[in-house]
Amino acid sequence: MLLTVKDIGNLAPDIWQITLSGDFPYETVRPGQFIMIRIGSGKEHILRRPISIAAVTEESLTIVLRVVGKGTKWLSERRIGEWLDVLGPLGRGFPNPPRDAKVLIVGGGLGVPPLYLLGEILKTETDKVDIVLGFRSQRDCILTDDFSRLGRLVVTTDDGSFGMKGNVIDAVDSLRSSGCRWEYVYACGPLPMLRHLKGYFSDQNVNGYVSLEERMACGVGACHGCVCPSEDRSLARRICVNGPVFPWNEVSL
Amino acid sequence: MSHPDLTVEIAGLYLRNPVIPASGCFGFGREYAQFYPLNQLGAVAVKATTLKPRIGNPTPRVTEVCGGMLNAIGLANPGVDYIVRYELPWLANQDVPIIVNVAGETKSEYVEVVKRVCASGLAAAIELNVSCPNVAAGGMTFGIDPDILRDLVAAVKEVCTVPLFVKLSPNVTDIREIALASQAGGADGLTLINTLMGMQIDIYRRRPVLANKTGGLSGPAIKPVAVRMVYEVAKVVDIPIIGMGGIFSGEDAVEFIMAGASAVMVGTANFTNPLACPQIIGEIKEFMRKQGIRNLGEIRGCIG
Repeated sequence: MLLTVKDIGNLAPDIWQITLSGDFPYETVRPGQFIMIRIGSGKEHILRRPISIAAVTEESLTIVLRVVGKGTKWLSERRIGEWLDVLGPLGRGFPNPPRDAKVLIVGGGLGVPPLYLLGEILKTETDKVDIVLGFRSQRDCILTDDFSRLGRLVVTTDDGSFGMKGNVIDAVDSLRSSGCRWEYVYACGPLPMLRHLKGYFSDQNVNGYVSLEERMACGVGACHGCVCPSEDRSLARRICVNGPVFPWNEVSL
Repeated sequence: MSHPDLTVEIAGLYLRNPVIPASGCFGFGREYAQFYPLNQLGAVAVKATTLKPRIGNPTPRVTEVCGGMLNAIGLANPGVDYIVRYELPWLANQDVPIIVNVAGETKSEYVEVVKRVCASGLAAAIELNVSCPNVAAGGMTFGIDPDILRDLVAAVKEVCTVPLFVKLSPNVTDIREIALASQAGGADGLTLINTLMGMQIDIYRRRPVLANKTGGLSGPAIKPVAVRMVYEVAKVVDIPIIGMGGIFSGEDAVEFIMAGASAVMVGTANFTNPLACPQIIGEIKEFMRKQGIRNLGEIRGCIG
């Protein structure tokens, strides 16, 4: 489907936020789902780029992307009023926790935006949301004001230039030391972060969910390009259709 | 003028049109049934099937290059028994002929998989995959030596109860030799070309982008190579050819047909545009209407 660029702006170095409007099944979007966007005519750049949906309204959706190559560079150069060829919403998103469950949201870097819609939904259903967001440095921090409205927020930076110095595991550990306990943990970010988080909670009774990313070709489960091994490594799980959100005990990180 | 006739007969298969999604690019059909009814297609070539389940290569398995992509999936599939039991019956209900792509590491493995696929009664044809560039054993090794290939095709042909196509690798010095060896072994038809071996390097990390280091190049970038190879092979064999390699439009498909192909397969284009196959069918029809072509036989192999 063709969506129009309603707004585009720079959030941090190399990080852009684009809001799209037009005919799209916004009401069906689950937090954690993604869209595949065609780059130009699709003749030079033949693979669509998978980008997570950060926020959605009744008439628009917002994505946040980092310029990492030619495709994302092209996306960052779009102007208001131009249209994009979009496929979606795709994939399995985050499941809702039971009402009033104690929830922890953990995001790292560009893994932060896909958690925003989840946070918005949880805010209406529970007031017991703790949020930990980690970035490299103050200049990389994104959406911290938005998340601060959704629950108790702790921001960490590797260099200590903003918030707490350290990584998200340090912050989670200090919250835990101060007595916080959670039944559901939702995370998105770099693979080492997700791996450490899963390890950190391995001896505790929590339901953990992670959103994974991988280079994709089809985005609909046909090509088997974007796989991750199952927990026992006997199966390949397709991130685009079996995920991108998985219970962390179902996948080997 | 009356409607152009898109039907084709190829090695005893009657197809409503010449457009077939290529193996590996269309799963087992389910994934694309959400976009259009699969009975619009000439046939469906399903993902490669091996005797045992295969998990495939580590990721990254796919990457974009200019005008194309590299893949090194590594024949990931749930194995022939699962496929015959759970995948093919669903697809067979979609009223579209199924071409089952078969791969193996040994001759006896190929023979066994073909036996089991034929026994299911669900395959309209077999496509023998002797051209996968992304696996350590088997795969392309069967497709680059004429003597080994002729022997393999002959062994498979003995147990194959449906038309047998051999999918040729372009990663050879002279593809005509390989095509003739397949024909000599008893192939009923040929499909070409599989991907061209390629490589992409991440210069900032100083390592290959793909975990497998090398992968198969597909997409518009390979189309001229593919058209040339179909043209060369069509000149020397008597069996029909299904052409493929970077077909993204009806015009691309017509090039292959003029080079000598009876039908075409569409692979990578499905990723760019999930509606690629129906659109290509429409574009072929439109081209025929504008050019006053009544059936594809009028232009097949028209390039001298």
